[in-house]
Amino acid sequence: MTVHISTLNDRTTVPENSKSSLNTQEFFINMGPQHPSTHGVLRLVLKMDGETIREVIPVLGYIHRSIEKICEHNTYRQIVHLTDRMDYLSAVMNNWAVSMAVEKAAQIELTDRIEYIRTILAEMQRLQSHQLWWGVTGMDLGAFTPFLYGFRDREMLTDIFEETMGARLTLNYIQPAGLMFDIHPDFVKKTKDYLKYFKPKLEEYEALLSANPIFQQRLRDVGILDREKAVSLGATGPVLRACGIPYDLRRVEPYGVYEKVSFKIAVGSVGDCWDRYSVRMEEMRQSIQIIEQLIDNIPEGKFITKKPAAKITIPEGRYYSQMETARGVLGVLIVSTGKEKPYRFHLRSPNFNNLWTITQMAPGSRLGDLVAMVSTLDLVIPDMDR
Amino acid sequence: MGLVAQMDQISGGSFILTRMDEVINWARANSLWPLVFGTSCCAIEMMMATGAARHDLARFGAEVVRPSPRQADLLILAGTIVKRMAPRLRTLYEQMAEPRYVIATGACTISGGPFVYNSYTTIRGADQIIPVDIYVPGCPPRPESLLYGILALQKMIKSGESLREPGIRKKPVVSELPPGVKLEDITLELRQILGDEGITNIPEEIARREWSTGL
Repeated sequence: MTVHISTLNDRTTVPENSKSSLNTQEFFINMGPQHPSTHGVLRLVLKMDGETIREVIPVLGYIHRSIEKICEHNTYRQIVHLTDRMDYLSAVMNNWAVSMAVEKAAQIELTDRIEYIRTILAEMQRLQSHQLWWGVTGMDLGAFTPFLYGFRDREMLTDIFEETMGARLTLNYIQPAGLMFDIHPDFVKKTKDYLKYFKPKLEEYEALLSANPIFQQRLRDVGILDREKAVSLGATGPVLRACGIPYDLRRVEPYGVYEKVSFKIAVGSVGDCWDRYSVRMEEMRQSIQIIEQLIDNIPEGKFITKKPAAKITIPEGRYYSQMETARGVLGVLIVSTGKEKPYRFHLRSPNFNNLWTITQMAPGSRLGDLVAMVSTLDLVIPDMDR
Repeated sequence: MGLVAQMDQISGGSFILTRMDEVINWARANSLWPLVFGTSCCAIEMMMATGAARHDLARFGAEVVRPSPRQADLLILAGTIVKRMAPRLRTLYEQMAEPRYVIATGACTISGGPFVYNSYTTIRGADQIIPVDIYVPGCPPRPESLLYGILALQKMIKSGESLREPGIRKKPVVSELPPGVKLEDITLELRQILGDEGITNIPEEIARREWSTGL
């Protein structure tokens, strides 16, 4: 096997006899790292021929905070708070992924109450994440109103979170062996009220943005991702499902109480931006259904099965576990030497793999369409770089 | 408050007298154009939640958020700054037109936050790269905190630079106490609360530590 290594300098030097169409010349432009539509500090080096994109080279590292290295110096309980800051839009699911890996490795038993609350909160967070994505996608493509609508509904969900967990964004609620606190007495009632409020709003979302012909034209048949390429690049989550592959860890390898609820997996057919948009809209409906099935049946019991001060040690070995966040599969690999702290802690983030699909779908399309593609991939940059 | 308080009326009512500094500073303070610089979590809370309807940054004359440094005069740092991003941040700051102001929001931009230990890339505080006017703590801070930070900045601008000495800013005491309240009262109350909750042995703590801040 040979590995070809090329630097960014090599790749951005235009050869003298480069293939260019009539009256144009190939050139490179930088999109980012300070660019409003990349939602953070992503840098894309674009090889352009006029207005047409020939090649996309993602350059990472502008928000690399060495989380994996810090984790090696922390105990398993301390690691959890760093995962909030990776994919901050699905903080609960990140906490859960690490906690689940630790619990499986250390063989900690959980009560039903913990599993129910975790599942409900994860679905609420998925709903919240998609609301934000919906608003921001509208804003990227020139419609400002969805942003205000999305945030109006998101803030209400944030209030419910704040009451139970005491934080608005970096929730830090799930810990190995249970939860930080029990749910607030008003939690069940407020969640039900919210769902009643939000269901008609979702129809409003569809009427406002999905039915807009300009918006549809900007998304339909733009950024088509091939099914085989999506799998070979390791894309997961709504990006993979939009290509027509019904792969969802909640169904394939159920965790939490996903086995007990009935829900559908939203699947696209073409794999273009419009499919990715529709899949996420449908996922919001399914999340509401899952919460509705669970919210009345939260069993009584303990909310933590080990004392918070108790030490957690994992027997020597390598452990991997994964779960479905709002963006795809988040994998956690722990290499333990039998001590309190991990020897190596690795995270497989969904955004990193989803990003590279853009190198397949962007070439041949126009520069303006790249914004739609980046937007519907729903990237969170700190999760890529960690 | 603002400009009206600085005006003198001349009898007859056709003219008003005021100082040029006051007019310019008043205009600057109420038309801040922030530059989007969101690198991580704080960006969601600070830029987006404050821009949305509930917290509404527009009430304070700072809603024209610009993606270009050439059109902005307020840099709101939201998120961790790492070594690779630091030169870009410096460039952005230098491209902004004078007078320019900087607000650092969140623990990461103030000191490195949760990434202060064992991290080989994080910059421990944005003030190592560029001058910072206002610090807004939190991880991430609530939108209300940013609004308070912007109000504090407006206060600073209004009482700050003069035409004759540009670049020299008087920083106001932001944590000004309300009338009738003394720092000692707050200290006593805090000790009372801590003592009541029985979290720490207060006399022992006081004897063990040196209270540099007067607390």
